[in-house]
Amino acid sequence: MTTIISLMKQVPLPSQMRMGEDGLMDRTKAKSIINVDCSFALEAGLQLRGMMEDARLIVCSMGPPSFEQSLKTALAMGYDEAYLLSDRKLGGSDTFTTGLAISKMLRHLGFGRGLNEDFIVVAGRQTSDGDTAHVPSQVAENLDIPQATFIEDVQFKEGKIIARRIIEGGYQILRLPIPCTLSLTPTGIPPRRPSLAGAVRARSSQITIFSINDIDLAEEKAGLIGSPTIVAKVANIKSERAPIVMSTGADSKALVDDLIHSMKHGKNSLEAVVKKEAKAAVIPEAYETVDFRNGASGVLTWAEVASGKIARSSLELLTPAKKLASALDPGTKVRTVLIGSSLEELAQELIYHGSDEVIVIEDERLNEYRILPFAAIFEQVIKAYKPEIALFAATTAGRELAPRIGVKTQSGVTADCTALEIGVHVDNKKKVVYAPILESRRPTYGESKLATILGFVCPQISTARAGTFEVPLRDENRVGVVTPFVPKLGEKEFVTEILETVRGEGGLSSLFEADVIVTGGRGAIGDDMALVKQLSAALKEHGIKSEWAVSRPVVDLGLCEYARQIGQTGKTVRPKVYIAVGISGAIQHIAGMKEAETIVAINHNAKESIFSNADFGIVGEYEEIMPELIEAVKNGFVFGLDAK
Amino acid sequence: MHNTNTLTTDVVIIGAGPAGLSAAIHLADEFQKIGESKRIIVIEKGNSIGAHILSGAIIKTDAFKELLSQEEFDNLPFDCEVTEDTTFKLSEHGAFALPFHPPVMDNLGYKIASLCQICRYLATLAESRGVEIYSGFSVNELLYENNTVIGVKTIDTGVNHHGEKQKNFQEGTSVFASLIILAEGTRGTLAKQLETKFHLSQNVEPQVYSLGIKELWSVPEGTIKEGTVYHTFGYPLKREFGGGFVYGLKENKVAVGFAVGLDYEDPTFDIYKVMQVWKQHPQIATILKEGTLIEFGAKTIPEGGWKAIPKLYTNNVLLVGDSAGFVAMPALKGIHLAVTSGMCAAKTAVLAFQRKDTSETSLSNYKALIDQSRIRSEMYPYRNFRAVMSEGMVVGALKFGVQLVTNGACLLTPKLKRDNLTLQKITEFHDTPFAQRFEGKLESDKKLTFNKVTSVFYSGTQHDEEQPVHLQIADMNAFREINMKQYGTACQYFCPADVYEEHHDREGNLSLKIHAENCVHCKTCDIKAPNSAITWMTPYGGDGPQYQNM
Repeated sequence: MTTIISLMKQVPLPSQMRMGEDGLMDRTKAKSIINVDCSFALEAGLQLRGMMEDARLIVCSMGPPSFEQSLKTALAMGYDEAYLLSDRKLGGSDTFTTGLAISKMLRHLGFGRGLNEDFIVVAGRQTSDGDTAHVPSQVAENLDIPQATFIEDVQFKEGKIIARRIIEGGYQILRLPIPCTLSLTPTGIPPRRPSLAGAVRARSSQITIFSINDIDLAEEKAGLIGSPTIVAKVANIKSERAPIVMSTGADSKALVDDLIHSMKHGKNSLEAVVKKEAKAAVIPEAYETVDFRNGASGVLTWAEVASGKIARSSLELLTPAKKLASALDPGTKVRTVLIGSSLEELAQELIYHGSDEVIVIEDERLNEYRILPFAAIFEQVIKAYKPEIALFAATTAGRELAPRIGVKTQSGVTADCTALEIGVHVDNKKKVVYAPILESRRPTYGESKLATILGFVCPQISTARAGTFEVPLRDENRVGVVTPFVPKLGEKEFVTEILETVRGEGGLSSLFEADVIVTGGRGAIGDDMALVKQLSAALKEHGIKSEWAVSRPVVDLGLCEYARQIGQTGKTVRPKVYIAVGISGAIQHIAGMKEAETIVAINHNAKESIFSNADFGIVGEYEEIMPELIEAVKNGFVFGLDAK
Repeated sequence: MHNTNTLTTDVVIIGAGPAGLSAAIHLADEFQKIGESKRIIVIEKGNSIGAHILSGAIIKTDAFKELLSQEEFDNLPFDCEVTEDTTFKLSEHGAFALPFHPPVMDNLGYKIASLCQICRYLATLAESRGVEIYSGFSVNELLYENNTVIGVKTIDTGVNHHGEKQKNFQEGTSVFASLIILAEGTRGTLAKQLETKFHLSQNVEPQVYSLGIKELWSVPEGTIKEGTVYHTFGYPLKREFGGGFVYGLKENKVAVGFAVGLDYEDPTFDIYKVMQVWKQHPQIATILKEGTLIEFGAKTIPEGGWKAIPKLYTNNVLLVGDSAGFVAMPALKGIHLAVTSGMCAAKTAVLAFQRKDTSETSLSNYKALIDQSRIRSEMYPYRNFRAVMSEGMVVGALKFGVQLVTNGACLLTPKLKRDNLTLQKITEFHDTPFAQRFEGKLESDKKLTFNKVTSVFYSGTQHDEEQPVHLQIADMNAFREINMKQYGTACQYFCPADVYEEHHDREGNLSLKIHAENCVHCKTCDIKAPNSAITWMTPYGGDGPQYQNM
């Protein structure tokens, strides 16, 4: 009988999250819920059982004893057994140690290579209090089993798993053997509510609690001590937008006319804020400087290829890569890994954009990205080239590949960074200075804070959020080296089959290149985004580069593809004009659009926080405002841009 | 293989309010006394215990003394004791403190409390006695066999707007029980079904209700002393029955509320807005002006009194608390009666289990116990109070004065009318319409006065959007023609939570938008809509307000 193992985390309600002085999570004050993505995984497990003749359903978690309440909910939903790994020594675990600890627990429960291999691990894509999406990948690597992450639909057919995986601009259908690990996005089947009978059963069920000793996890491999990465510092993120200009008027037409009038006069401006010079860290002279690189050198990046082109986000990556290289030892090289077939031209492009050396792996089987062979290739390349830093774009591929590699190299990963710099780390306890070190900065706690993460094992691996960095200027005079690399790949790397790859219209590039983006939120779904699309189309008629997009709830509701999602877990865009329709302005969304030159917000609720993050606003029903606005555009209003 | 979706129990209690929890506690105690072990299950629709509980609340504590041990009683989380009790007659700008009030309305020595907190405490006491309490589960259906109730069924979940089963469909659980105690509170969904099916209200006056709106505020130190109680009548009301209250609480909190009888006539009358107008009266504004709103809630109160109490039992079923209409008028106190009715129900049940007979005949003892209890002694003398008040507060007050002398007897007592029959059509209503009556006072300043949507936010209300609309309108065409065109979509005014919105499209077509996600479960629409056009059903368990300290 197959066992379905659901990994679940309990998280504080996102709105009630607080952080302790030490930069670690303070869970004591917030109300707790099952992490939303995990709840979709719980449901996926139940759905999978429905497709099998029979299955045993177990749920596992790691955290304080208070997690029992969520495990009970899982039992009430229909899970058969629940296990909790709970030990004070696990406090402060980073994703690397978390992945290791959970894998140890699963092995202790009898699952893994050489043990019972008839199991499927289902997990949430990521947690709302971490947002890294690392753990499922890391569990898969630790257990040495295949994986499929960012899954929105999963089926069990003829002894295998068929999974629909979100990729940039579309999706992919994968067939995986058992055992495997799956991570679920909140776009599939929402979690069922427990039945009363289930709740009654759960009430009398026991939850087994393990300590690290029980699962044979060494103390030095657990918690803060075992973590290769640390949170070095956390800073507040402040808004830099001037107060909004609100339209006034008696009806929709008057409101839109007033908007047009206001936009002619321009937006409010902030009084110049004098920025404080950042104080340089004072380093006591007595401190010894530690160079932990052990001879590792160079910045390695991955050039993701989609539809025969290098993904824009991979080109963007060369900007921080070059900057980091120049801040390191003289002669530090930027090397880029390029995998696929007929790669000559693409390799040249990478050199034109800033790569010093392109490591090319030609293999027809690898025209589409596949996690197992790619992870194996990186392991071999890293062994051969010993880079000190490895960077990946935080695409759905990069976000699963980097953590899998991070387990192989024992170095951990920092997810979804928006700034990458070379700095120093002063350890006052050990009285040493670690330098040079990669400072990876990432927004956290719903984008309200910027955390700086450090890793002490090379390569220091980070993923960078798409759209954060500019694509470097193309320079055909740049020269570089193209080096073929022949990896050793076995059958084992190809057990997962790609059955279908679909990339829709409006993938990555058009959103990044648009001058106007019209984005519809939860408050604009009444007409299936028709008005949002119409406004964008009307602008296109005038020769304006316009695109439409959505916020996360719209994707979560299954009304739009993930590729069009703007925000923390979607894309970061910086158009000239951003028109937010029916968007509440959750901080995660603001993160993806706050760099827009001008932001126009339309919402029926004047209290929504979008109005604190926009330049121009109209309060009204979008069904009534939008037709007027579209009419105005048809009559020549193009938000102050140049019509062609 | 997986586990049946049915449960069997001795007793199931629907609703974890004061009545249901008291019944559970007393049942457990009484069974223990006779050495019997019986399974008692309580099902609560709120996300947690207390989440759907709202009351003033000034509590007469005697019933709790009977229910609990001394130690348990001493630990009841009362807020403070009433130390000052004044009733004001308000005029538009002035206030006149009554030199005295009828003893029946005196509150000195009673306790002020958050009923949410009391219920949370009672739930722990019930659980410590072995009672199983499950919150977050809704019950919409009684199960029958041979025309006799044999259990209840929780609602199916994983159903979309159109009622179609989704992939995460979860069938409701059937709970088979020897005895079912309905403690759903005001206008209970199951109680209503039962009353209709078995004609339980056949020989009694119709039940009438008030809608009470409550706000909890935090005010600066020294604004109002804890234990200070003000009641107001008069302005902003004229003919309508009702008034306001201000209770000073511990830690610089103050509870304010306003209740109005739902027998008013103006189709545009808006009780939520009346309360906002009332808060602007100098007497009230002084207390709140430097404060901040913490919590908001609304609930109806059955106040038909003794004559509106339905038949309280049928085969295997007992009605307790607000579901039975146990609210003492004119004091508007029901908590202690809820507790008492729970205890009477428990005593009845234990006897019935001993006889192994939960038939109607066996349960009829319940009525006898109620008649011997404070429920009768506190309700019967005021049996005509609400009826005379329906004639307006002036005539009503005179007639009530007479009743105080005659132990409630009264000549010329008018018949109570159902609340959904009193509303006049837009064209029939000739008095000053609501908007004109309070012109200049209906804009919210977002400090002292608010709009409905903002207030709903302060109730913590949320609903899963993927479910059938729980506010059911059987005939939308009739609703448009009668409720909307003739009565001016009165629901947009009487609903305190902005659930109902009249919508005109560009072609001028009229339609109703139902924002079910705003619903605070007060049930006014079920009571007041002309033609009984709206039926309030329980949405998914756990949905609705999340009251903390109401």
